[in-house]
Amino acid sequence: MPRRRAGAAIPEMFRTMLEKPSTRAYPYQKVELPARFRGKLDIDPERCTGCQVCAMVCPAGVITMIDIGTRKVGDKELPVKRPVFELSTCIFCGECVDNCAFKALEMTKQFELATPHKEDLTMRKALTK
Amino acid sequence: MTEDKPPRKEESAGLMKYSAENLVPFGPIHPALKEPEYFKLVLEGEKIVEVIPRIGYVHRGLEKAAESRPWVQNMYMFERTCGICSFVHSLTYGQAVEGLTIYEIPRRAKFIRTIIAELERIHSHLLWVGLMGHWAGFETLFMWVWRDREVVLDLVEAISGNRIHKSMNAFCGVRRDMPEGMEDRIVERMKFLVDRANYYKGIVDTEETMLERTEDIGRVSAETAEKLCAVGPMARYVGLRRDIRLNDPYAAYDEVPFDIVTSKEGDVHALLKLRLDEMIVAANMVSYAVKHLPEGPIRIKIPPVIPAGEHSSHSEAPRGEIFYYVKSSGGRTPDRVKSRQPTMANLPTALEILKGQTIADVPVVLTAIDPCFGCMDRMSFLDIESNRQWTWSGEELRRYGINYYFPERMKMR
Amino acid sequence: MSEVLLQQIERLAADAKTKSTQLHKGETMIEIEQSQLKNFITRLVNQIKIRHLSTITGLDLGQNIGIIYHFWRDRNTIHLKTFVPKTKPTTVSIVDIIPGAILYEMEIHDMLGVMFVGNPWMDKKLLLPDNWPDDLPPPLLKNVKPADIRKRLGLEVEKK
Repeated sequence: MPRRRAGAAIPEMFRTMLEKPSTRAYPYQKVELPARFRGKLDIDPERCTGCQVCAMVCPAGVITMIDIGTRKVGDKELPVKRPVFELSTCIFCGECVDNCAFKALEMTKQFELATPHKEDLTMRKALTK
Repeated sequence: MTEDKPPRKEESAGLMKYSAENLVPFGPIHPALKEPEYFKLVLEGEKIVEVIPRIGYVHRGLEKAAESRPWVQNMYMFERTCGICSFVHSLTYGQAVEGLTIYEIPRRAKFIRTIIAELERIHSHLLWVGLMGHWAGFETLFMWVWRDREVVLDLVEAISGNRIHKSMNAFCGVRRDMPEGMEDRIVERMKFLVDRANYYKGIVDTEETMLERTEDIGRVSAETAEKLCAVGPMARYVGLRRDIRLNDPYAAYDEVPFDIVTSKEGDVHALLKLRLDEMIVAANMVSYAVKHLPEGPIRIKIPPVIPAGEHSSHSEAPRGEIFYYVKSSGGRTPDRVKSRQPTMANLPTALEILKGQTIADVPVVLTAIDPCFGCMDRMSFLDIESNRQWTWSGEELRRYGINYYFPERMKMR
Repeated sequence: MSEVLLQQIERLAADAKTKSTQLHKGETMIEIEQSQLKNFITRLVNQIKIRHLSTITGLDLGQNIGIIYHFWRDRNTIHLKTFVPKTKPTTVSIVDIIPGAILYEMEIHDMLGVMFVGNPWMDKKLLLPDNWPDDLPPPLLKNVKPADIRKRLGLEVEKK
């Protein structure tokens, strides 16, 4: 049993004083993100077919499908749907990206999503097409 | 109890009743508690004689919510039971559901699960050692330990894409493979962490600040701990060999060599050393598993409908045994999911330890069980309907508060 | 080891006039009468030395409320299932045999309204709020809708 004494940690204290700081000056000095980082969702409107799979698998109810028109299949009129994303409830699990058969969805490396207006976090990008 | 002394407690219908003067409320908001929880301390002088817990301040209603959600979505919900040991929740829930299906989990997926679970154990134990230093008045240790914790979090982020909520698990497999060329980096970082853990072990053994606050505090006998169904480090620090990784191996724990750490001393100081030792064991396990990672598929896709039946699964989280019970009636949503978190199992032991301690030791003892009240409270019903959401503006919230505490003031307006 | 244990459990079950069924590998389910429960658990703890109670689960089964006691030792899990009628949800407490069960029983009392006779803290609330009205049904029953409870507690805020 080693001798008990106050200040056993003092040598380490001096050693760490000479090291460079462990923290980074974040907003000025950006951190390099790993390749698999899951940030803000993004959609490629060209590729989306409106199949609704992403809306079905989403655990947080981020995705709602909205009718943007109709299309004719045979003699039936079918609605054409496109997703709207409520990113303020997104939990960044990536389940929708995994399940998208058309590779329309991806997770970007953007993580600075704070905004004074909640509406900024509603992504209606797919509706324009 | 003699005639001249007024009776302090009276027995009526088997229930203890205490007079108001020796009751000290502890919580729900208290500087020594990181999460809202309430303990009624019954005192005799400065000594605690009885503790009555009141939990439930952070209930989110997960068990009720699980009954109305598809199987896969529940996995992400249960992962969010806790912000520290998130992976092991989805792992245990996944194992409980996988038991109902006929599919075999690929061997590579089992190894990846083991690696992530052990990385999580290291990060959770480091977090706890830091907090322990904080409550013992050794803030420097807190800073150092949390700096080293970043090493693990960076690794987890590189493997899974997120620091805390890894979202790695799927039914019958994992969602992401290990990245290429990570092996050397992981092994090297693990070596660094083993060195650090050994250094901290030396510090907690010699530094007087730490010893004064932790030695001989929080003693409990092995028989009591066993009777009160203690789990995890709280069972091992009194000498019980209770570790589900060893007793009932899951994932790849029967293929990765390791030995559990137990202690005989049974005080908070022993707990500190035990958790640091466990960290070293976990780091060695990660190195071994990364080197011996088998080839093969990582996932089997299973249909969204789970066959009817009931099954339970348990696993060893950093804090102790996590238990999930799943009942399916063959539909797209579960019939019942029961989850029991280690803090719930360790709370009776903590209450038993508190008896006989002084008030000053309450923070140390309560931190010693590594409490996670957010985990424990998971079962109310206030925010679970996914399609109906309501929010309060700051003004509404303020009004509600005033109305709750001073209704007469609202009437005056 | 495991087979010896299984035989012992089967013998205990036969004494309690019930049968054990294998759910999965290493998992045994025993359905047992309420009156036999305490005796059975005493023998489980003292004779077979299965001392660790993982948790107690409460289930809404329509007519009845099911209460499952989950025990394990090494690779064997034992589920003891007993039924309580919804009309009179009362059963015996096992706190005197396994003191660690006290919080689990309180949890089921809060969430499903089952009364455990012998538990010293049955008059206290563990999880539900203090202002929970007595006439509200326990929240984990299948017929209870969260929206109704929210309305009843006055948590619904009117839109302006």
